[in-house]
Formats: sequence, structure tokens, C-alpha cells
Amino acid sequence: MSKPTDLVQGTLDLLILKTVALEPMHGWAVAQRIRQVSGNVLQVNQGALYPALHRLEQQGWIQAEWGESENNRRAKYYALTKAGKKYLQHEEANWERLSTAIGLVLKTV
Amino acid sequence: MRWLKSTSHRFRSLFRKNVVERELDQELRFHLERQIAEYVVAGMSREEARRTALREFGGVEQMKEQCRDERRVNLIETLLQDIRYGVRTLRKNPGFTFFAVVALALGIAANTAIFSIADVVLLRPLPYRDAGRLVKVWEDSAAYGFPRDTPAPGNFFDWKARNAVFEDMAATSGFHHSFNLTGDGNPEEIPGKRVTANLFSVLGVKPALGRDFRAEDDIPGSAHVAILSHGLWLQRFGGDPQIVGKEMHLNYEKYTVIGVMPRGFQFPDREAQLWVPAQFTKEQLANHGNHFLNVVARLKPGISLKTANANLATIAKQLEKEHPEENAKVGAYAIPLREETSGDIRPAILVLVGAVCFVLLIACANVANLLLARASGRRREMALRLTLGASCGRVIRQMLTESVLLATLGGVAGLLLSFWGTPFLASLIPAGIAPLSGTEVNGRVLLFTLVVSIATGMLFGIIPALRVSELDLVDSLKQGGGRSGLGSGGRRLRDALVVCEVALAIVLLSGAALMIRSLENLYHLDPGFRADHVLVMRTPLPRQKYEEFVRRTAFYDQVLERVDHIPGVIAAGYTTWVPLTNTGGATGILVENQPVPPPGQRLIPNVRIVSKDYIRALRMKLVKGRLFDEHDGAGTQAVALINETIAREYWHGANPIGRRFTRGDPQEKPEWITVVGIVGDVHQAGLDIPARPEMYLPYQQQDFGFEPEYLAVWTSGDPMLLAEAVRTEVWTVDKEQPVAGVMPLENLVDDNLAARRVQASLLGGFAGMALLLASLGIYAVLSFAVTQRTQEIGVRVALGAEPGDVLHLVFSQGLKLFLIGAALGLASALGLSRTLTHLLYGVSAHDPVSFASVTILLAGVTLLACYIPARRATRVDPMVALRYE
Repeated sequence: MSKPTDLVQGTLDLLILKTVALEPMHGWAVAQRIRQVSGNVLQVNQGALYPALHRLEQQGWIQAEWGESENNRRAKYYALTKAGKKYLQHEEANWERLSTAIGLVLKTV
Repeated sequence: MRWLKSTSHRFRSLFRKNVVERELDQELRFHLERQIAEYVVAGMSREEARRTALREFGGVEQMKEQCRDERRVNLIETLLQDIRYGVRTLRKNPGFTFFAVVALALGIAANTAIFSIADVVLLRPLPYRDAGRLVKVWEDSAAYGFPRDTPAPGNFFDWKARNAVFEDMAATSGFHHSFNLTGDGNPEEIPGKRVTANLFSVLGVKPALGRDFRAEDDIPGSAHVAILSHGLWLQRFGGDPQIVGKEMHLNYEKYTVIGVMPRGFQFPDREAQLWVPAQFTKEQLANHGNHFLNVVARLKPGISLKTANANLATIAKQLEKEHPEENAKVGAYAIPLREETSGDIRPAILVLVGAVCFVLLIACANVANLLLARASGRRREMALRLTLGASCGRVIRQMLTESVLLATLGGVAGLLLSFWGTPFLASLIPAGIAPLSGTEVNGRVLLFTLVVSIATGMLFGIIPALRVSELDLVDSLKQGGGRSGLGSGGRRLRDALVVCEVALAIVLLSGAALMIRSLENLYHLDPGFRADHVLVMRTPLPRQKYEEFVRRTAFYDQVLERVDHIPGVIAAGYTTWVPLTNTGGATGILVENQPVPPPGQRLIPNVRIVSKDYIRALRMKLVKGRLFDEHDGAGTQAVALINETIAREYWHGANPIGRRFTRGDPQEKPEWITVVGIVGDVHQAGLDIPARPEMYLPYQQQDFGFEPEYLAVWTSGDPMLLAEAVRTEVWTVDKEQPVAGVMPLENLVDDNLAARRVQASLLGGFAGMALLLASLGIYAVLSFAVTQRTQEIGVRVALGAEPGDVLHLVFSQGLKLFLIGAALGLASALGLSRTLTHLLYGVSAHDPVSFASVTILLAGVTLLACYIPARRATRVDPMVALRYE
């Protein structure tokens, strides 16, 4: 297995929020989804994932609920809250601006 | 709303911990299972999939801990957890806990008690408005032997009129004053002061009831008024709210009560219960030769003490020129009131503060040692915790929590001790030394104790805790039971702590030894009189009733005549002041056939007006000539006894017997007084203060304002047994005569040494505590070492070591620690004892006897502390020892 790319803390938060924005999801699924969508480039380490989920829950961006998983097990599903949605939009806009800016710099030089 | 949610989350985490923990566990387990399932689908065997997933997943416990951290309740939660855990560990080791708490309680109680006294004496502002600006002003008559003299009214008046630095100046009469309060109830001697009308306004304190003095109250001849202390008002008048305007009789004169001072107000000392206007006459205010005032002044805002003193010096110079007779070489200076009231006791308290800090440090070292010993037993526990995912900081925090918990227990116990100890300490300090009202355990003291406890816990907890970070996990876990666990580093640390304890104990013990030797010197010093078997009392004659000189002498004659006939009385005498009651009481004289000395070099000996048997009653030495006898009376040749200092200083070695001197002006009809005898020097001003020139004159021959009022009676038995009989005789002569201050003369000696005695006994007590704690420290270290070396000792015994060899093994370790500690301690004690110099008497700060004796004492105690573990070591059974681990 390739070495997971290190994720800046804020970036991981953004990825998680974006992922759970589609539908409520448990931790394992979040990691899988990020890996799949990024074409196996971004591998989220469990050691970073769960503290991040708990942090986001603590901050009120996401909320958790227990539900049945796809294989009929009890799993903790995380869903985006209203406040989380606003926060995500804000952060996405930030990210756009930042990456465009970096892209410009890289292209020009 | 978001904060509401996150707060509720936190509460959930804090109070529904089990649920949250279970959920966390389930969540992570679900993840793991999901991953295993994924691998199985990918073609792995179930076993293999499980192993791979687990490896990939990493440390579950660390991850959980991180999740908990994210919930940010950890701080409180872990604290609660640590405290719970700490309480459990402490309960599991009752012996350890008991010893540690007792050691800490002693240290903390000593600190709390001394702090509450230091708080009142040194820290708390005096109970006057803006007390930092209050100063006392003194005359500097060092040229005449009085470097701090009570100012003359004339000088006070001129300072007040001419200075540019004080808002106002007030004065109280420095004489010992008491008022005979008669009227409803029993006659009572009430200590009080004659004061200028502005005294309370200078101090910035208003009466709680009624009004302050007004300038017109202070004019001679105006109606008599008085202000009462809160205490007197309660005691004598039952707190009568209608007291203002009521009349009472003081010294047979009518006074109107115009006010009551607030609770706790005291000036100039805690004795004074009553204040009346001084009503100085014009003549008195012009008198520069009669020194009897206490002057207090308030600096103008922004004026420094230095400026004030410069101004006073200038005025004093002017007065020297204007009144050369009285004021030559008389200076003036101010010192802050705070220094004045705490001056004598300040160095002593600072020494005691240092001493209790040392005691606490020793207690800390002791507890740290115990913790270290325990920590070595807990190495496996700590290593296990670290391996299971606790961070290093977390373990340190937990250990510190335990020590602070221990210290808090010690603090609580110490506080309980000090509730009893502080009033006890305060009661040891005599009234005259310092104003000590309000020495009780208050908020500041509580805060102090709290801070000291926590700091103490940190102090003794930090070393064992930090050693956790040096733990080698693998090694510690491998070391089975952890018995041989303590590395050499730990032992060195423990040894170092014991060395410090010994050193601190030596410092304290030698300080105490020096103080005790000083006290002993003072008790054995010959003050020139004998205080044992002497009864003293005061019979101050009311001036109104005894206006004429002959009435007064008749009173003394009759009282002495009657007292002489009481069975058990050997000799009785009257004097103006018995020793240790007045530092001054002096008058200027001129010696016949000697040139009149220039101003500033006048001869001003102390004068005591006495009856003929006074010298005998105090068993003073007759050096030469004769004492007074029944022929020295009114109308016969005026005679005097002089002390050895006068004989030496005024007659320069020539025989003074038969020589004459006069108190008046030799130019105009001098009244010559003939010296008939020389008596030994008497320490009048204080046992540790050398005698001044002094003379004794018979009361029948001299009438100049100093009245004999002390009656001294030399008795064959216990002097107090005759107190009633003597008092009865006084009342037979005059049934209304107030009698005050009935006590054995020895009380005055005791009072004079009280400050030193208290210091010496407190320091001795603290040194005793230090000795006990240090010896327990040595004992604990050796006993631990013996336990640790049981196996080694067993091997030695098995190989043929004799009990003597084993004893030697233990003793040599103990003595090595003692010797290093003693060397360090003696070196620091020699350095520190210099700070004690001014508290010592007749003993050098480097007194070899003191230092040697405390070293021997501590050596003895060390041997004892070594002996018990050493005995245990000799009883080690090699078979048992070898199986020990």
C-alpha cells in the first residue's frame, strides 16, 4: 500500500465536510469515499479521521446518529448540520481562491 | 445556538461518560470489522485480513485518547480521574499517607502561624488613615546617652510651628499614665494617655460615637473631657449607647465622656484605654529641658522621609542656638510609624519566617523522598501506562495531582493545627512589643496556606514526576516485581535530599542554640540587683490630695513603717522607678570645684528618689562609704548615693565620698548634695543595656517633680503571699489610695526578656521539628536501602560476613550522608548566623560550643536512626533473602 499523502488539518476537515454533505455516512465510508473519489491519491488514516470527526462534531459542523449499516450493523452516521453547510460553502470558496492563486503563481513563473 | 450544542456535547462527555465511551468503542470496532470484511472480499483469509487491518489501524487506545482530547473535556475529566485515582492510592498506603500528611501539616502549620503574625506586624497597614505618611519624631540626644529621646514640649511646639514638611504634629505624654476611675462600680486603674487635641485627626481616625477633641478642650482650665476605647466602653459601661455626655471621675476629678473610638483602634500601644487632652500650659510649651513626649506627625503628600529629616535637622540647629543650655547637641529625626511599632520585633520575625521556611523545606524533602521510594515501586505501573497510550505529560500530571492532593491534605491538617497554634503564638508575644490585635486566621492567611500547600505539592512532587520521563519502558517492564528497580540516579537523588535535610536541620539547630545561649547569658547576667523574693507595686499619689510635700513624705514614712512590721518582710523601700521600668528619668548636675562644662557636655545622670532601705530591698551592692540611714532626713545635710559609673566618669578615679554637687546654678546659692556612698551599677533600661551614670537621693530631702511611687518589698518567702498584707497596710494609711501593678519583680525581668525568650523557644521548637523530620528522613532512606539490598546482604552473610560487617555497611551509608550534610549545614550556618548577630548577647555568631553541640546532637540522632534499619539488616536470613525477589 502506498504511503498516504499527508493532509493538512484544515484540508482534511474540508474533505470530510464535503463528503458527508452528499448523504449521512459512517467513518469507514468517509475514508473509502475520499480514497475512491481522489483516485486512490488521498488515503485518510484512521488515526487522523476519527479525531477529526469528533472535533467537527464538537464544533457543531456535523452531527452523529446511530443507524443500520449496509451490512446490518449498528454504525455511527455523520451528517452535515445547517451551520456546517454554511461553513463548508465558506471554506470551499476560500479553497477556490487559494488554489487559483497558487495556480496563477505556478503558471506565471 | 452552536455553542449550546457544543456545551451540551461536553456535558454529555463529562457526565454520561460510560455511554460516550461505549459509543467510541463501538464506532472504532465497526470500522475495524468493515475493513476486515473488505479484505476478505479482496481474497484474504479471515485471519490474515484481521491481522492486516489491526496492523494498519494502529494504536486503538492512543486514537481513543485523541478523540477524547477533541471533545475538550479532558482537562476537567482527567483531573477528576486523577484525584479519584490519587485518593485511592493514598488510601491504599495509610502509613505513607499518614506520615506525609503529618510532616506537611507541621511544616504548613508553622508557616501559617508565623505568617499570620508577620502579616499583622509587618505587612498589614497600620489601622490609621493613609498610615504610610505617619511618622514618629524623636529627639536625638545621643551625646547624653539617649539616641532616641522623648521630645521636650518646647521642642515639639517649635518643630510644629516652624516645619514645612508635616501636615500636622500631635503629641502624647510619654509618662506611664493611669487614671483611677471611680464612680459607679469598683475603683479601677485604667491605663490612658494625655494627648494633644489633634491626635486623632493626625492619625485620621474619627470616634465611632460622639465627637473628637476640639482645640478649646486643650486649653488649660477648660472643662475636663475624655474619649474612651471601644473595649473600655464595652467592659466598664456595658456598651451604653447614651454614654456621650455622661460624667465619670478620674483621679478624683469630674470628666465628661465626649466620644468612643472605633473597635480595634489603639494608640500608642494596646494598653491605652482612655484619652484626655493634655492641656499643656504656656510654661510647659516653652520648656526645652523636660523630655517626656511622644510625637507623631503626618507628612505632607509627596514629602519624603529624607526631606522631612533634613527640615527637622535645620530646625534642631536653630533651637541649639536659641536654647544652648538645654538644646546643645540635641538633634531631631523622624522614622516611619510602621518601623517604630514593629522595629524591635521585625528582625526576630524575619528570622522566624526563615526558620519555618526551612522546616517546610525539610518536610518537602522528606515527602519527596518517600514519593521517590514509592515511585521506584511504581515504575512498572508507570511503564505500563505509557505503553498503553498515556502521554508522558499525562503521567506527570497525574503524579503531580497526587502530590498536590497530599499537600492539600497536609494543608488542611496544618490549618486545623494553626487555628490552635496561632492564638497560642500570639499570646506568647508580650503586649508591649507589638500591636497584635487581629492575629487570627483570616482570608489572607487562608490564601497563604492554600498557595503554600499547592506550591509545596508541586515542589516535592516535581522531582519524582519528572523521573517518569526518563523511564526506559522495555527495561522497566522486564524487571519483574520492580524490587531492584531504583537506578543509581534515583538513589543519588534520595541521598541528596537527605543531605539537604541534614544541612537545613544543622542551620536551624545552630541558630536556636545561639539564641538559647544568649538567653542563658542574660538570665545569668548580674544586673546589679536581685529580683527574686521582691514584691513590687505602685501607689501613685493623686496630686490634688497630696499637694504638699510633707503630706507626701508622711505617707511614705507611714507605709514603710507599717510594711516593715509585717512578718516575713526583710526590707521595704520606695523608689521613683524600680529597674526595667524607665530608661531615663535624668537631671543635670554640676560638680563642686569643677569648671562648668560647655553646653552639650553637661552631666545628666539618672536620678532615683528613694527611701533609705530601697538599696537593701533590691540587694544592690554597696561598693564604698555608707547607705542612707535614719539620720538622713528633712533638715539634715543633703546626701546622695552614686553608682560606679558616676564615680568613674564624673570624678575620674578620685574618691568621690564627701565630695559635693548641685542640681542648681553654682553661681547663686547652690544647694550642695554630699556623696556618702557608692553603689554597684544597676541595669535600669534593660538587662542587655549597660548602666548609665545614676544617683540615689532620699525622698525626705528632694522635691522636684519625680515622685517615688514604686514600693519594693524584699520578703523571706514567696513575695505574692504578702501582697494582700502590704496592700492592707497601704489602705490603713489611706483607704482611698489606688494600688496598681502588684507583682513579683521577677515578672519585670521576664517581661524584659520575653521577646528573646519567645524567639529562642520558637526557634528551638522549629529546630526540634527539623531534627525530628531530618532523622525520620535518614531512617526512611536507610530502611529503604536495607530492603533494597536484602538480597545483597543475604549473599554477604551466606559468604561469611559477620553481623558487625553488616552493621558497618548500613552505618557507613548513614554516616556518609550525615557527614556531607553536616559539613554543608555548618558552612551555611556560619554564613547565616551573622544575620543573627544583633539578636545575640554575650555569644559570638560563630560560637564553637553551639556549633559543636548541635553537630553532636544531630550525630547522635543519626546513629539512632541508622541503628534500627541496621539491626534489621543483621537479622537477614540468607535463605530467605536469596529467595526474596
